[in-house]
Amino acid sequence: MGMKTLPITELRSLLSAVSDNGKQHLIEVEADLMQTTFLLSEAIEKLGASFMAIHQAVSEQQAELDILMKHHEFPAEETEKLTAYKQNIGAEVNAAVTGLQFQDLTSQLIARTIKRVNGLKDLLETLAAHGDEIEPEHEHDEIARFLAAMNHSLNARSDALTGGLRRSVDQQDMGSGDIELF
Amino acid sequence: MSKTILAVDDSGSLRQMVAFSLKAAGYDVVQAVDGQDGLNKAKEKTVDLVLTDQNMPIMDGLTLIKNLRELGSYSKVPILMLTTESSDEMKAKGKAAGANGWLVKPFDPKRLIEVVQKVIGQ
Repeated sequence: MGMKTLPITELRSLLSAVSDNGKQHLIEVEADLMQTTFLLSEAIEKLGASFMAIHQAVSEQQAELDILMKHHEFPAEETEKLTAYKQNIGAEVNAAVTGLQFQDLTSQLIARTIKRVNGLKDLLETLAAHGDEIEPEHEHDEIARFLAAMNHSLNARSDALTGGLRRSVDQQDMGSGDIELF
Repeated sequence: MSKTILAVDDSGSLRQMVAFSLKAAGYDVVQAVDGQDGLNKAKEKTVDLVLTDQNMPIMDGLTLIKNLRELGSYSKVPILMLTTESSDEMKAKGKAAGANGWLVKPFDPKRLIEVVQKVIGQ
């Protein structure tokens, strides 16, 4: 009975195709993430500038009101309202400052994702490189060893990638974080 | 005379919010874009408090703290971390390096000022 030949050529083509197709998609993912990073950076610059300008204008307006209240008699009800507005504005300014920190957190998450994408591209490169080492004339046992070595290499690279991508942003919402004095 | 705080963070928007909050409370703020820049600026003028991020290029926060504590002028200056990191492991590293406190981002300006006032006064 004749031995069936292993479809080495097809295996090499498969590994190469997985590598090439995968890398193409990851290149697109990376491009989208870079664009997102840029837009977030632009947005926070504009938001920050507008926030500062509005705050400056409101502060100057409040200063004028304080002068008016000092030099003129206002009905108690109106004085209470103005004081309440002032406190409200203060609270909302605090909330805005907390919220405007979103770009810092999201940019760190995106940077980590881009690193992982680059790591995945390297993994796929490794896949194709190992595939190129397999020759049609190799015996079954030799090919099994190649595949085991490829598997080992991929696992090692994957572990290294995971090790280099420590999670530094765990926040699930934009509520202010804990404070601890040692 | 106003007290001076060194704010170290590689995020421009974060530094902007920190400076805005601290200046509103009457503090002077010196900004640095990473740990090395922070160390250079700290050496130029001794500040009253250092507020530093952890994850920064060139020099991270923990390394900055260790370097500052080796300077005689900064052996007693309060140093607070302001970072996204919240694990007990990182806090322990911060404390061992010489940090006096740990603030997790995002910060609330009112609470930030309360802590700063508690540590260095008005």
